Amino acid sequence: MSEVNLIIRTADQTRKAEVTLDLTNTGADIIQASVDNWALPTDTDYGLVSTSSGKTILPNSSLSDSGIKDGDVLEVQPVLVAG
Amino acid sequence: MKAERYQRHSLIDWFPQEKIKAAKIGIVGCGAVGNEVAKNLALLGVGNLDLYDFDKIEVHNLTRSILFRESDIGKSKSEVAASKVQELDSNVNVNAFHGDFWDLMTLDMVESYDCIICCVDNFEARIRLNQLCLITKTNLINTGIDSKFCQIELFPFQSGNNVACFECNLPNSAYERMQQRYSCGWLKKVSFIEKKIPTTIITSSLTGSLAASKALNLIRGETPSAATRILVNSFTGVSTISLIQQSCECIGCSSFGDSISRISVSPKIKSSFKGITYESDDQISTSEPILISMRCHNCEPEENNIIFKNSSNFDSTVSTCRKCGEDSVDVDINDTFTLSELENKFSDYSFPCKYVHYKLNNQSIIIEME
Repeated sequence: MSEVNLIIRTADQTRKAEVTLDLTNTGADIIQASVDNWALPTDTDYGLVSTSSGKTILPNSSLSDSGIKDGDVLEVQPVLVAG
Repeated sequence: MKAERYQRHSLIDWFPQEKIKAAKIGIVGCGAVGNEVAKNLALLGVGNLDLYDFDKIEVHNLTRSILFRESDIGKSKSEVAASKVQELDSNVNVNAFHGDFWDLMTLDMVESYDCIICCVDNFEARIRLNQLCLITKTNLINTGIDSKFCQIELFPFQSGNNVACFECNLPNSAYERMQQRYSCGWLKKVSFIEKKIPTTIITSSLTGSLAASKALNLIRGETPSAATRILVNSFTGVSTISLIQQSCECIGCSSFGDSISRISVSPKIKSSFKGITYESDDQISTSEPILISMRCHNCEPEENNIIFKNSSNFDSTVSTCRKCGEDSVDVDINDTFTLSELENKFSDYSFPCKYVHYKLNNQSIIIEME
């Protein structure tokens, strides 16, 4: 199986999509697609978390290497810099 | 008086007031979150607090800073915060460090803390603090906010080597954003204007509470084995807790060997490597990039002027030649050297950096400059 069906959403859950993705896609690929498709603010950096496993997905790791499976929910979270 | 002060705490069966009194915590950054963290730790009765900040109080800080007053405008953030903490509880031994923590904190100081709470407002300072905590295996609590979200990350470096660090999950876009501040890779752009991220007391106080709670758990001896992140949506109260995955490609932690030893030496290059066995083509990396030389290819085509100073002392204007006024100066900056190169070319110079890292057989030796 080279593809996986997922739900991707933003941390505030104002944006949500059911998508089919190739397992070779990386965390960074998904974040970039989310920023582009949902017009997320480009002055913020983002990380990816699997709410199904409760683990972060490394920017350069593929979905396959991150153990992502059908039905998982991935959340695009802001990386916060202010203090 | 003292026992009465903590009477309500004493009614909580899990509350270790004596351990809290003995604890020592470093707070880096005394802005909105740093104020909240310092206030919370002081009220909990943490006995020893060190506050670091290089900045001064401005009027716009007053909407988010519980320890600052209108009369404090223009004063040092760390000094005012320390004095207000002392007013909150005179039993707290609180020290103010006005300046850049990178210059003020020795590795022994970092190691002396039960944990360090990072309340700064930029990626570079976070990366640097992460490095110091990694080297000394000091637990790090990182915080971040915007106007809606609160982020609290715990990196329990005391637990061992298999703990993710701050850089493991840092997106490439964050490095690209940091790079926008520099030209030629390393020289600060004089014209760069940093974008300010708006925040409110809502997110800073929530974050300060959770960060203090994490510190309290560490003091109680509850050190988790993995790094974790809490992200709270302050509008809805929804929070997500995630395990932060370690990256074997991380430029922050993967460069260190399985064990890290430290020595302090004079920064003079001649004497830095006395007593260490090494091969001449072994490499060392410096904690900060060093501007090695500059040469105008119009005015001094053959001559290389050795500078060997920390590149942070320079900005992008050095690429313009003072003689001919052209943008014609080649600048050589590096952070990796072979030991023979140092011995042959720079032995009369001193290391203009905090430390150098020498890796030998999967063991890291950190040579800290005295």
